[in-house]
Amino acid sequence: MKRTVPLMIVMVGGILMMIQYFIPHQYSQVVFDNYTEWAPIVGAFALLLGVGSLTRVHSHRIKRKAPNWPYSWAVLIPLFGMPFLALIWPESLWGGSDSPSVFHFLFMNIQVPIQSTMFSLLAFYIASAAFRAFRAKSALATVLLLSAVIVMLAQVPIGEIFGPWLQNTGLWILRYPNLAAKRAIMLGVGFGILATNLKIIFGVERNWLGGAGE
Amino acid sequence: MNFWDKMLNIDRRWIFLAIGVVTIIPFLIGIGMPITTTTEVEDIFDFVNELGPENAIFVAFDFAPGTQAECMPMAVGVVRHAFHNDVPVFMTAYFPLSHGMMMAGFDYVTNPSIDGYYQVVEFAEWAHLREAGITTKAELVTEWENAGNVLPDNAANWVFEGRDYALLGYAPLFHLVILGMTSSIANQYPEDANGNALIEMPMLNEHKSLREVDLALTTAGSSACMSWITYAREKIGTPIAFGVTAVMATDYYPYIQSGQIIGQMGGLRGAAEYEVLMVENDVTESTGKAFRGMDVQSADHLLIILLIIMGNIAYFAGGAHKRHQMKGRG
Amino acid sequence: MYETIGLWVAAFFTLAIYSFLYKENPIYRLAEHLVVGISAGYGIAITWEITLEPRLIQPLLAGDNWVLLIPALLGLLYITRFIPSIAWLSRYPIAFLMGTGMGIGFPLTMKASVLRQLEAAMAPVYASGMPWFEVLGNLVLIFGTLAALIYFFFSKPHKGLFFGTGSKIGIWVIMLGFGATFGFTVMGRISLLIGRVQFLLGDWLHLIE
Repeated sequence: MKRTVPLMIVMVGGILMMIQYFIPHQYSQVVFDNYTEWAPIVGAFALLLGVGSLTRVHSHRIKRKAPNWPYSWAVLIPLFGMPFLALIWPESLWGGSDSPSVFHFLFMNIQVPIQSTMFSLLAFYIASAAFRAFRAKSALATVLLLSAVIVMLAQVPIGEIFGPWLQNTGLWILRYPNLAAKRAIMLGVGFGILATNLKIIFGVERNWLGGAGE
Repeated sequence: MNFWDKMLNIDRRWIFLAIGVVTIIPFLIGIGMPITTTTEVEDIFDFVNELGPENAIFVAFDFAPGTQAECMPMAVGVVRHAFHNDVPVFMTAYFPLSHGMMMAGFDYVTNPSIDGYYQVVEFAEWAHLREAGITTKAELVTEWENAGNVLPDNAANWVFEGRDYALLGYAPLFHLVILGMTSSIANQYPEDANGNALIEMPMLNEHKSLREVDLALTTAGSSACMSWITYAREKIGTPIAFGVTAVMATDYYPYIQSGQIIGQMGGLRGAAEYEVLMVENDVTESTGKAFRGMDVQSADHLLIILLIIMGNIAYFAGGAHKRHQMKGRG
Repeated sequence: MYETIGLWVAAFFTLAIYSFLYKENPIYRLAEHLVVGISAGYGIAITWEITLEPRLIQPLLAGDNWVLLIPALLGLLYITRFIPSIAWLSRYPIAFLMGTGMGIGFPLTMKASVLRQLEAAMAPVYASGMPWFEVLGNLVLIFGTLAALIYFFFSKPHKGLFFGTGSKIGIWVIMLGFGATFGFTVMGRISLLIGRVQFLLGDWLHLIE
């Protein structure tokens, strides 16, 4: 029940859905339609796992007064506050999820700017890395460096002052050698995904069972 | 420690400051250097430009706020272009946070404070016209204006919810939702994000599944965009276009050459090209945020190339490379 | 008013994150934690409102689709993960989604990422009127892909004409590709910064359009 049944579900489900693809019959279509209707509902509940884990980690930090524990309130309060504001708090008092509402305000004016700015920090770090780590130490490194510089210049308007050859060279690198390299990598990744799929479906790979008891 | 070593060990906050300054100044000067367009973006533009009210497209907001600076102008550009040509647009979101991005993007296109915006007529507001059997765009606009509604001066046109657009939004395991939509959109979305029943929408009655949709543009900051190829393109042949962050753009050139996607907007440059094409073809009167950002992009790229050159000069002139080699041998 | 306060709050948090460039500080840490809580809270609200309510709760309350109890109960089994004695039950929904997801994705992934790509790699090298750089490009495309594949083939030593020379050419092609990716990565990172500066100078301070 604990290991065999889940492994059987994976195998039967996997084989059934694979066969379904090759049989364009109305019964097969019924299976397909019901499955695509059900799966997002099952998937929606997976969010509970994330919420449960976050709550557990941060409530433990608060209880144990771990270093920086007061910040855990900054996770827990919005974690439960956001759904409360969107779904329970009355709309007459700025509840609900549409604009204007407190829920919408917090998302647009705290979540969006913080996340966007965090990602934009990478601009500073990549500049620093370009200065400290990007070295023409070997012929191959020099090729990488030259390719990067040509593409960087070709992608911006100022690159056009060097003449059309620069943009054309940049595009040529993207459309041919870059494409060849990426296709080779992608084929490797594609075969890897397919092999892993088969290993999981046939129960060779079982790490996903985790440590929830034998 | 010689001069070059000191240079190599400079406090990185000086580099941060240089990037900050070089990013701000071109904005204040405002140069507006021209941008030439590439076939990767032109192909998407031409495809959308050929569509009309009888067609429909999907614009998928498959990015989170972290990459909105790149992805949002692409999605907004294509939605505007579709609205200009009266092409119905279904909007979806791959992640919960991209649902917020979809709402923000739609708000940007329909915000009265932005010139050339599209004036929304909500689903309930034109229920009487639907019940009277008036569902084509041209007839709707005529009847709506005959009823005394006046299009504001700075608005480009009316857009009727359920006729011109449907905000479908987020659903979990979105790749399976794409797959499900190959059979039926309404099965996957009984209601839109505003709580309107999809089966009552005229645009859904004309386009019941992805099979009856002419294009799906996915704007993504992750490999989520691949789901559209795998589950829509390869299942039923839906034409797909990509609008992806620059970091990912190089990875998807194989899909352009193989014809699995009709074209690709890569990063801010791709979005800027689309804006330029819209102005050149009288879809919009002026370019947007992406184009304005390209001057800064030029300045920053020059600075980074300069940093690479300076870093290499300091590394080789200061003898750091020899010390590294000796360390390697030792 | 709603928008003005929003702009100031957004500007405050934007600057709070940038303060990290100088030094880590409590305001940055607060912002870092807030973003985790808000995004998870947002996810719960949206998932309920957009997915569970219209797809599950409303049909169940209407009493016309009791079969939906099956995915609902299966989904609820995720919660057992937090009850050690029956935590193994959480494997059931995972098994259902993983098995079926992989089965349904297998033929399509095979088509999208392998077969179509192999087909596209067999492109004609020359057609009449094709400029020389495209012919050269097509040669690079075909032989470059083969060479890069040889480089990633680790079951044979990279020696001899086929594996040795092939993998050497392969690594040069790969480096050109990685260089292009690095160039685009720089572009992407700078674009994200541009987005924030546009917000600060434009939306907030109105110094630019």
